[in-house]
Amino acid sequence: MGNLNEKEGVMKKKIFGLTVALTLTAVGALGGFANQAAAADPIVLGVPSARAFAEGAMTERGIILALEEINAKGGVNVGGVKRPLKVEIMDTRDLEAGVPVAEALLVVERLILDKKANFIVGGPIRTEAYNAAMDLFSKYKTISLVNTGVYSPGTAQRIAENYEKYKYSFRLTGHVGIEIGMDLPALLKGLKEDYGFDKAYIMVQDVAHARASGDIVEKLLPKWGWQVLGKKVYPTGTTDFSLGLLDAKKQGAQFLWVWIDMPEVGILMRQWADLKVPALPMGYARTAQDPGFWEQTEGGCAYLVLAVLNAGNVPTKVTPWAERFNEAWVKRWGNEPTGYSCSAPYMTVYVLKDAIERANSLDSEAVIPALEKTDIKGGVYGRIRFNPKSHDIIRKHDPNEGALGAWFQWQNGKRVAIFPKAVATGSLQIPPWLKR
Amino acid sequence: MDVLVYGLVNSAILALMAVGFTLVYGISRLANFAHGALYVLTGFVTWIFLRTLGLNYALAILAALFITAMIGALIYHAFLVRVRSLEASEIIGSFAVGLVIMEALRWRGFIGHGFAIPKFVKGTLSIGWVMVDLQRIIIIGIGLLIVICLWLFTHYTKIGLALRAIAQDEQAAMMLGMDSDRMATISLAVGSALAGVAAVVILPLGNLTVESGYQVLIYAVAVCIVGGLGSWPGAVVAAFLLGYAQILTDKFGGSHYQAVVAMAAIIITLILRPSGLFGKQKELEERV
Repeated sequence: MGNLNEKEGVMKKKIFGLTVALTLTAVGALGGFANQAAAADPIVLGVPSARAFAEGAMTERGIILALEEINAKGGVNVGGVKRPLKVEIMDTRDLEAGVPVAEALLVVERLILDKKANFIVGGPIRTEAYNAAMDLFSKYKTISLVNTGVYSPGTAQRIAENYEKYKYSFRLTGHVGIEIGMDLPALLKGLKEDYGFDKAYIMVQDVAHARASGDIVEKLLPKWGWQVLGKKVYPTGTTDFSLGLLDAKKQGAQFLWVWIDMPEVGILMRQWADLKVPALPMGYARTAQDPGFWEQTEGGCAYLVLAVLNAGNVPTKVTPWAERFNEAWVKRWGNEPTGYSCSAPYMTVYVLKDAIERANSLDSEAVIPALEKTDIKGGVYGRIRFNPKSHDIIRKHDPNEGALGAWFQWQNGKRVAIFPKAVATGSLQIPPWLKR
Repeated sequence: MDVLVYGLVNSAILALMAVGFTLVYGISRLANFAHGALYVLTGFVTWIFLRTLGLNYALAILAALFITAMIGALIYHAFLVRVRSLEASEIIGSFAVGLVIMEALRWRGFIGHGFAIPKFVKGTLSIGWVMVDLQRIIIIGIGLLIVICLWLFTHYTKIGLALRAIAQDEQAAMMLGMDSDRMATISLAVGSALAGVAAVVILPLGNLTVESGYQVLIYAVAVCIVGGLGSWPGAVVAAFLLGYAQILTDKFGGSHYQAVVAMAAIIITLILRPSGLFGKQKELEERV
């Protein structure tokens, strides 16, 4: 009996010892996990975006796609620790009519202060809102990489003129100066040489960026040997463009510069097709970039040539990454990239990852010089580099030299990239009713 | 020639947009500020029937018009009847209903520019050297048809005569057994259906956007103020005045001043003749 008690006592001691050992192991393991979790705190990307608009929706998609790809590979390497990316999206409503700029600024401030965003990527989309937000980025020393909208060349100029204050802002997308100053002369040269066109007509919307494009083109065309026959400025919501189109037809215009950033551009294109206006329409129209525009206009948009700012926003094979991006986009979102804000938001996350890893820090003062030294070859829209003074992406027509814009033409229900040559998947077509 | 042809088209569009609004006001003295929202709602309901449910186009339109008419009746029966005769409340209430409709459309995903309904007929017609697409010719035809039908309806049908009686002297009509609320419900239903007719003939020219509801409301109000609130012949005349003024501005002034024409017309009318061209609302005050 006494022997039995002794054995029980030994057994109890063993069980106690085992329990303590297991508990300690568990606590140790949990502590280890906890330490690891603390080390792998996410890097927060604040995304101010006009969520009710396609531009905003596509921006979010581009960022999320890149983020998922990076996180699937373990995240961003900061000081030897792989940290996942986390996204915080808030609606700036800055594209909605009548919404003051202050609303977008509040959103930016909340992302920085409440959501503890380490970096701001995405918008605000409207130039006025973004330019105002640049002061907030400076105040909170938070890096912003804008990749959608902000169409004015003035933004980069502001950074260059006051570098110390605005060095926190970078732009990964094109602007009106690139499209008109760099792409358009080459396109028009082709039209002049190949088809003998030299008469133009301008139709723009009565909003700041569109009017500016009309004014600039009106001044530049004569310098390039073109004759400007007329110019129409349409208020937002115009439902009839017939008088302008008939005037262009009557005067013998062969090229129509269109910069109409409102849904009614669908009416314009239907009327252009119905009236068989013998002038090739070219320019910028956000609505007309959508794959559904062909159906909306019942094919009336055939031959329309449009800018989409960055290659990748229409399917191209400019680099292997561009092809992979298109496939990944279709797989993730169910349809092709659309609008002008798919490829740049996607690349932004990779550019940031690259800079953070080189800086080995999340500190703005360390990441800014790393971003300025960015040189990603073979990106979705070519080589990604920044002008170190203006923080604007460097644009070229050669993907080995810089980032590429893209122009496509509506052909048989498809968006076919036609310019620059490096991105082209087809060639320019001229309407049969347009005589050479 | 182009001014003549496209002025006529523009006038027909404005008349179609405004005639439902002015009819409701003329009969019930109700300013239905949900008019623009009902216009876009009809477009989107037609789109749903056509694209999602695969209904025949004509059936889709008829079903959409019926639904819009019922919603119009419901707006009166559920909301406006409670604030009847409180003019400011009627305006605010109906505008709020319009906002609810438009925001509900956005909430249900009708955002962006990817929605359109097809033209009735494709092709163009040459009038002299001016080419016009057939949908615009249809707009002129339907505008004319609506005016004729409205005149026949209000002059030769029992309900139409009752509506006119209510419009002329509500209390006397009620003494003769006419139900004012019932007539107001009918007028809201007919007015809403007219907004719907405008939508299904005008919207095929472009695409459907929720925001266009505001613009339709502005043009409808502009035409009705110039023509005289409540007078549908006045609305037709005003639509022609504004329609041609806009086209002439486009041709000889600048297309970007077109929107200013409508607003300027409201201001000038309110200064010179507050009741509008055919309105009788403040005629006595004006004489005094």
